Amino acid sequence: MFAFRLILASLRGLQTNLMRSLLATLGVIIGVCAVVSAMSILAGAEREIGKRFESMGADQIMIVSGSSGRGHRQARVNALTPEDADTIRDQCPLIRNTAAEFTSAAQIKYLQRNTNAAVLATTDAYKKINDYDVAFGRFISREDNRAARKVCVLGHKIANKLFGEVTPIGFRVKIKGQGFTVIGVMEKKGFLGFREVDSQVMVPLETGMKRLFGVRFVTMITAQATGQEKLEAAIQQVKRTLRGEHKIRAGTDDDFSIFTQEQAKERVADVTKIFEVVLYSIAGISLLVGGIGIMNIMLVSVTERTREIGVRIAVGARRIDIAAQFLIEAAVISMIGGVLGVVVGVAFADLLEKITRVLKTFTPPSAIVYALVMAGCVGIVSGLYPALRASRLNPVEALRYE
Amino acid sequence: MLISVRQLARVYQMGEHVVRALAGVDLDIQAGEFISIVGASGSGKSTLMHLLGCLDRATSGTYELDGRPVMAMSDRELALVRNKHIGFVFQTFNLINRTSALDNVGIPLFYGRQARVREKAMASLERVGLANRYKHKPSEMSGGERQRVAIARAIVNNPTVIFADEPTGNLDTRTGEQILEIFHDLHQSGVTIVMVTHEMSVAAQARRLVHMTDGLIDADREVTTELRRELVQAGVLGATRVQNEQHLETEGTPS
Repeated sequence: MFAFRLILASLRGLQTNLMRSLLATLGVIIGVCAVVSAMSILAGAEREIGKRFESMGADQIMIVSGSSGRGHRQARVNALTPEDADTIRDQCPLIRNTAAEFTSAAQIKYLQRNTNAAVLATTDAYKKINDYDVAFGRFISREDNRAARKVCVLGHKIANKLFGEVTPIGFRVKIKGQGFTVIGVMEKKGFLGFREVDSQVMVPLETGMKRLFGVRFVTMITAQATGQEKLEAAIQQVKRTLRGEHKIRAGTDDDFSIFTQEQAKERVADVTKIFEVVLYSIAGISLLVGGIGIMNIMLVSVTERTREIGVRIAVGARRIDIAAQFLIEAAVISMIGGVLGVVVGVAFADLLEKITRVLKTFTPPSAIVYALVMAGCVGIVSGLYPALRASRLNPVEALRYE
Repeated sequence: MLISVRQLARVYQMGEHVVRALAGVDLDIQAGEFISIVGASGSGKSTLMHLLGCLDRATSGTYELDGRPVMAMSDRELALVRNKHIGFVFQTFNLINRTSALDNVGIPLFYGRQARVREKAMASLERVGLANRYKHKPSEMSGGERQRVAIARAIVNNPTVIFADEPTGNLDTRTGEQILEIFHDLHQSGVTIVMVTHEMSVAAQARRLVHMTDGLIDADREVTTELRRELVQAGVLGATRVQNEQHLETEGTPS
């Protein structure tokens, strides 16, 4: 009850100096706003990255050319062939399926409409491994690949861009100037890993490598293990098989590297950690500045109310009552700043998302709690010295103060 | 005996100078007395009042309030004594300007952690005849009204003794008399009143007059008709009156 009345009294004190109180909160508002928006951006990014990793599949093994074993890449970066994918699938009991792919960009044209798109040359296994199917028509078949047929499957978005509402099965498009027949349109998917698949064009691996781009090596082989718990053993099998296939002698580095969803996650987590530290440092500094602002205002307030403090002591306030009054005032300023800061911070993060259209933000409830607790702590810490000074005033001198 | 003081001294260190504001005072005040402490400025009367009011600690000597040794009390105990047993009235009123009269009167109750603050504060305002002005802020009141609010604040906890430091010093004579009238009423109802003033005409309203010079009491007399006559003859009492009234005529009626 007494504490409640004390809070009421401090609120009234702040109200009489509304403009100054607002200015005092400004530092905290900015600080908390920085904390909240920083946390929102980070949490949003983490969630977004998390989603993409989920779409990658936890049982997948990605194999790319070049060694990353000792921090340097080998000269011979092109090492993986379509045959490697077949060998891995056939010789590793713990691998259920593999899909080799070659990716590049090319111009794709239908009548007068043309656009630049990512071209993915792959095999029929791609669909199964990624759990990504057609909405209309059919996907690339084994037969298409063997015969290197000039057929293509369009991503959801690019189909829309070139053909609008029309279902384009059987229509002919030109990729890099060569005619291709559209055999399917994929379902809406968004992202697979970090690739936006809705905008890509898929062609048979053989067709892409030989007829479109003239290459001998693939960009990546995706291998699907028989189970997530056997991932480590599966990786070892793949390694052994590929080393044998590539005739790598014992003691020399692999000419390929393998990574999984888990490893990629860790690598990204390392990067976000750095961002986290930087963003929190900035937020922490602005909160510190806010705290100094509050301390300044509180010291002015104590000096200004010296006589009042004298009167309060004269009518029976204990030193701790005086200290509590000023401490609560500082905490209230800070908490009000904290609440306003959260509101502004959430709005700011939202605005950022709308303006950039790239950043996805998300304010976790824990961020709000954290920001408010931080604000309260800043208020109490910065109010401590002024409160102590007020409580130590000599009442006789305070009553004489002009 | 309500107040009993022996060889009370207060020494200040002002840089290299040692100032003996109070040089060893003996004083006894009984419950229900109305006593004035007079003296020139620097005579030590305010210092004595601050010590008696438990706002300051003496350098040496003894002080018993209602039989309890004040010198041995902790800060916390002193705060409690000020809250429950002592009321202060100041020359400059010392009200908190941003809150209403009622809230000002309620402050001692607040620090005394008491219930029914509004009710008690209202009753106190009624005693000084300001119940109808309870909502007003001090800045919306005249000097006399402000001092009445201050008195209401001083008596709200039913203290045993009220210390008044030049309570009429910032008021015109007529308003000052109204304030003194309230002190008389309080005295009638049994409250002990200790009033510090440098105006003999005000001091003579009390029943006992203590005169101080250079930190010591040099006269302690009952205020009798005889003493009043003496003061008039000495030109102290009458002269002040006349002076004040002339002052009023030239200045017009103050609010």
